[in-house]
Amino acid sequence: MVERNHPLCRAHYLLRLRLPADFPATAPGQFIQLACRRPDGAQTSEVVLAHDLEWEPGKAIAFQQPELLGPLALLRRPFSLAGRGDDERGPWVEIVHRVVGVGTQWLSRLKVGDSVDLIGPLGNRFQLPKDRSLGLLVGGGVGLPPMFYLAQALQAAGWQAVAFVGAQARDLLPVNLDSSVPPATDGQPALSVQEFARYGLVTVITTDDGSLGLKGLITEGLTRFLKTLSPAQRQQAVVFTCGPNGMMRATASLAAAHGVDCQVCMEQAMACGMGTCQSCVVRVEDAANPQDRTADGRPWRYRLTCTDGPVFDARQIVWE
Amino acid sequence: MKKASTAAVNASAGLTADKVSLAVDLAGLHLANPMMTASGTCGYADEYADFADLSKLGAFVTKSITLKPRKGNEAYRIVETRGGMLNAIGLANVGLDVFLADKLPVLARMKAAGPRIIVNVAGHSFDDYLQAASRISREAIVDAIELNVSCPNVSDGLTFGTNPDLLKQLVRRVRDALRPDCRLIVKLSPNVTDITQTAGAAVEGGANILSMVNTFTGMAVDIWKRKTRLANGTGGLSGPAIRPLAVAMVSKVYRAVAKPAGVPIIGMGGIQYWQDAVEFLLAGASGLAVGTALFVDPATPITILAGLRDYLATLGCRSLSEVVGSLSLPGDGPACDQ
Repeated sequence: MVERNHPLCRAHYLLRLRLPADFPATAPGQFIQLACRRPDGAQTSEVVLAHDLEWEPGKAIAFQQPELLGPLALLRRPFSLAGRGDDERGPWVEIVHRVVGVGTQWLSRLKVGDSVDLIGPLGNRFQLPKDRSLGLLVGGGVGLPPMFYLAQALQAAGWQAVAFVGAQARDLLPVNLDSSVPPATDGQPALSVQEFARYGLVTVITTDDGSLGLKGLITEGLTRFLKTLSPAQRQQAVVFTCGPNGMMRATASLAAAHGVDCQVCMEQAMACGMGTCQSCVVRVEDAANPQDRTADGRPWRYRLTCTDGPVFDARQIVWE
Repeated sequence: MKKASTAAVNASAGLTADKVSLAVDLAGLHLANPMMTASGTCGYADEYADFADLSKLGAFVTKSITLKPRKGNEAYRIVETRGGMLNAIGLANVGLDVFLADKLPVLARMKAAGPRIIVNVAGHSFDDYLQAASRISREAIVDAIELNVSCPNVSDGLTFGTNPDLLKQLVRRVRDALRPDCRLIVKLSPNVTDITQTAGAAVEGGANILSMVNTFTGMAVDIWKRKTRLANGTGGLSGPAIRPLAVAMVSKVYRAVAKPAGVPIIGMGGIQYWQDAVEFLLAGASGLAVGTALFVDPATPITILAGLRDYLATLGCRSLSEVVGSLSLPGDGPACDQ
């Protein structure tokens, strides 16, 4: 059931869903599949035919063409979890959605109290190695939500962490800013983003057009920060990233250049999210499959974003 | 609520839904109910076990198995279109050996819980099909082999499916190579001018059951990049958008080929609600498969069962066979045969 659904910026909405008490445990990196349509009645056979006179108030009348009441968006849409909580009224999860099509437009119109149909939690999770303690969260645009959830988990695990957030422009950045802490234009981390500050994380904001924070790509902010780390600190660090492929690729190569481990949360067009449709493939390095090789000789095989991922070790990804 | 409405509807017929039998006999393949999974939309075996009670299916149909493993096409492999889904997976599968070693035991456990097991087989040559189909049919738990002669997403996959002479030869040779009590299903391609010709060829070749239809070749375009949305260029269209096309083909094949020959049809193409399933039954299908809708809700075929029972009870029919093919078409006259 919808508990909150409000815009974070020009294009993104935060949706909080109250879940049944038995909803399974979740972890950062995991996602849900949302049906972007009214849980519809076309499926029901508990109807009264239109010519039946024994109608009682409340009974559904059989529609002539129930299919025309049906979904505009046929397939479910996958959304990374942006947060999870459990309180006296049970569990809730949050997602952030960007209005890009018919499904997300429907989501944007949901009101408090509306019901939605979801499957989840699906997929694997970010790994927090025991021998590490510094998280560098790099999220671009609609790739930010899993970073919010990860910030929550890192705080609980006692890690230090810094968030790097990027967008094309200020009004496309899906965060709540703290008006009393203006983001630095020189890439200095500050407690300026509420979604991270509430878990004690400082943030470096970059925008392509310089309308907020540091002007440039997100990797610019990350580069400046990595330079300030000692070799011992780099040993302790893990980069976690989610966003457009080009951004993740650049982030992964930057991390590799500084000897820092990197986990990427991949996105790919998918139908089922449950491992059956075989749509959401990514190329992942695999020495056990020598017959498929990249131009430079690395063996790879297709893995599924939904059940093998969405989180992968960045070094294993064969970027296309 | 349910009891009250059913009773009200069935007052004249005096039949309640629990008295209705959904059991079907497809050329000796006995199913507890007509609902199946459509190949390629339900994995190898139990991938949906967490999301639906697969033991309630009439039959489980695996994704296509080929002699050698196939990695499939590049991404993007799917795109949603209006009321449908276009896919070009490219028959990605683990290949015969891994299937036999890893997946069959899971299917055996599934069969013990209820559903019949149907393995879909694809290939590029007579030899591919013969080797894979005959080997799989030696497994006693496999009740039927479904031949995929119509995958539109591999370079020469349509040859068998669109050429009646080749198809007849293929079906005959595969039929001869199968365990005698293993049923042979031929899945027809809709990408032909006259589907009764390929249906007829499959029946002459010895197909025990026809399944129809596979996906329709389609294309979706990114108008700003001026490129196709699928990496493969074209893909197979499925989902509610194709249902009227599929129902028309089932009706045509039922009357022209299947009914005269006594060969049952498994109908599929856009089934999402029980009403969709009924359309296929009336058009002449006795088995029903759900494909794309499984991606939205893996329990779809099981949910449909309740609707079918209520529908039959409403008509006063005790069994499914009473309605199969009972559709009257314009020109049939008042005494349409039932």
